Amino acid sequence: MSSVANDVELLKAIAARDEAALAQLYDRYRVILFGLLMRILNSRAEAEDVLQETFLQVWRRAADFDETRGRPFTWLVTMARSRGVDRLRTLAARERTAVAAARDEAEVISDAASDAFRSEQRALIANALDQLPDEQKQTLLLAYFDGLTQSEIATRLNAPLGTVKTRMRTGMMKLRELLAGKGKSFGF
Amino acid sequence: MAHDDYKEMIPAHALSALDAAEERALNEHLAECAECRRDLAEWEVTAASLALSADPKEPSPEVRARLLKSVSSASSVVPLPFPKRKLWQIAAVIVFAALIISVIVLWQQNRTLKQQNDIAQLLTAPGTRVAQLSGTNEATGASAKLAYDQNGRALLIADGLPRAPQGKEYQLWFIVDKKPLPGKTFAPDNRGHSLSHDQVPQAARNSAVFAITLEPTGGVSAPTGAIYLSGAL
Repeated sequence: MSSVANDVELLKAIAARDEAALAQLYDRYRVILFGLLMRILNSRAEAEDVLQETFLQVWRRAADFDETRGRPFTWLVTMARSRGVDRLRTLAARERTAVAAARDEAEVISDAASDAFRSEQRALIANALDQLPDEQKQTLLLAYFDGLTQSEIATRLNAPLGTVKTRMRTGMMKLRELLAGKGKSFGF
Repeated sequence: MAHDDYKEMIPAHALSALDAAEERALNEHLAECAECRRDLAEWEVTAASLALSADPKEPSPEVRARLLKSVSSASSVVPLPFPKRKLWQIAAVIVFAALIISVIVLWQQNRTLKQQNDIAQLLTAPGTRVAQLSGTNEATGASAKLAYDQNGRALLIADGLPRAPQGKEYQLWFIVDKKPLPGKTFAPDNRGHSLSHDQVPQAARNSAVFAITLEPTGGVSAPTGAIYLSGAL
């Protein structure tokens, strides 16, 4: 059974209130999702809290997962990122500054140790991002990890909104192109 | 705006980077356009791939323990099936009467004249429909009525809702073909009462299920919190 089929099976089991299946799914994705949430929130306490919330949401919403509409990985990552960005936005500016000051870097997992965490796919995405012009890459990362809207990015970069829109759209198209054909190994 | 204009907005929407007005417009289009929904699903895969550019990190073991403890306790939330339609005509009449009473009560509460006019206009407009929402296990004593006219102009009256915690608000959802379209957020007063206006998207006016969830202040584009109220026409 491929890992994707396993993920779908796990979600079905979770929808049927199987706690062991939730534990298994957590063990499979905690490191990727926690890395993502740390990048967004820069705080171990906040990232751990949102990680737990995300899996509680998986527990409640597993029955809503529709395998004809996408892969479990995309579903999970989208959910975690959205909660992470929501948390970032609700943190008061004061708190955010305090959090940044007390920035608590979690230890990075070495590539060898993260073999189970899609290191091959990680290399592919890193390579694809490297091939994007800097300003396109920056626009995508500001939207994805900092949760900024196009207008906010334009303000932050002191660039015209139209330019930001074009960079974002072109960057996304190029990224998709670079990842296309890698679908099989990419495993989404 | 034309279909092609919306199509161009989809990559940014997958990054949730559209500004509020654009996002709302695109969501309305998405509710009606299967091609754009498929497009969005593909762009979401591209967006999700960005997650892998973050360094993987190990959370502390307590998170796993807390998670498993909270799902094994009796407090775990099982999503309720939405109530079935039954005797809806009778229910609609009763609900309508209840709405009128709510409105009279509201009038007595010194609402502005404009607001009263808006409400009266909505309730007396030909084709106005009323949906009854009932509380889920999250809020068994809660209830709400959603009335809207042919143009989707809507009035939501909710009662018996628990006070929203700091940083949270309730948000209305229009669920069409299992896809939730976001409505506005609102916060009930100390008595758990709320009156708010909204706009029902075209696609949701005939066959939608309505639900209210607890979300971060300002609302979200897809529901994340537990369902407190739900119902249909």
